[in-house]
Amino acid sequence: MPTTTATITLSSADLLSDELALSTTMTLTKTTTSTGVEDTTGLNRKKITSTAKGTASGQITLYTADDFAAIPYLYIKNLETTVGNRIYVYDDTTSGDPTQFQLDAGDWGFIPMHGDKTYKAYATTNPTSIEFMVTGQDQ
Amino acid sequence: MATTTAAVTLTSDLLSDNMSVSATTTCMKAGTTADGLDGMEYGYLDLVTGDEYDLIGATPTASKASKLYLKNHSTDETYFIAITQNAQAIGKLYGGDWMFIPADFHDAAGDIAITANGGTNKICYALFHEGITLVTT
Repeated sequence: MPTTTATITLSSADLLSDELALSTTMTLTKTTTSTGVEDTTGLNRKKITSTAKGTASGQITLYTADDFAAIPYLYIKNLETTVGNRIYVYDDTTSGDPTQFQLDAGDWGFIPMHGDKTYKAYATTNPTSIEFMVTGQDQ
Repeated sequence: MATTTAAVTLTSDLLSDNMSVSATTTCMKAGTTADGLDGMEYGYLDLVTGDEYDLIGATPTASKASKLYLKNHSTDETYFIAITQNAQAIGKLYGGDWMFIPADFHDAAGDIAITANGGTNKICYALFHEGITLVTT
């Protein structure tokens, strides 16, 4: 059985009166089991060339609804270094394409998704480089 | 300025070669690389089933940077919490799972709401922000 883990470390020496040092690791498993997930899109690096959501071209599809069984795990990073070059992730399945997350230059996110919605990304600047990967269980 | 870093490492033997992906970000205020987020809200609590609750009781200032860490500490792998933002489902956290999202929780409707499923879930969260507005009683 494959083993896939995700570890987050949050740290700060001067935000609080005492040092902040939080670290935790999770194993990515099939829903309601302790069996590891077996599928992944692999790591992707692409350029977003669209500066709007909706029908404009140049958006990047991060995940297509129901591609994986719940729960697909999305890792995403904005590879830009210029502050203000933001990436917006929106739900392309729901009416109105609601924005879910926004990542400024250098930001990353890790989200266990529902799996039944298509996620796309556009950016404030053309082009904007993005790195992403979805790991889960194919269906 | 406060300096807070968030790092992630993903490792897997799913592929022909071992995979190890790491990313680190310093949590900055919006529009700058010189000033870090200087606010934090932290909690560890029981979440009972039956109702949806606002995880973030106060409203982070509009158009400012916020980062949210949330973990389900439940040990029962069938328990989960459903997470919505502005009434839109954004994720589910089963026992042991965590998430980290950079977002703009710009108003009361944009805040994160959570619902427990399966039983009482134990959760831990940390919101890093650059200013919040308390909700009046």
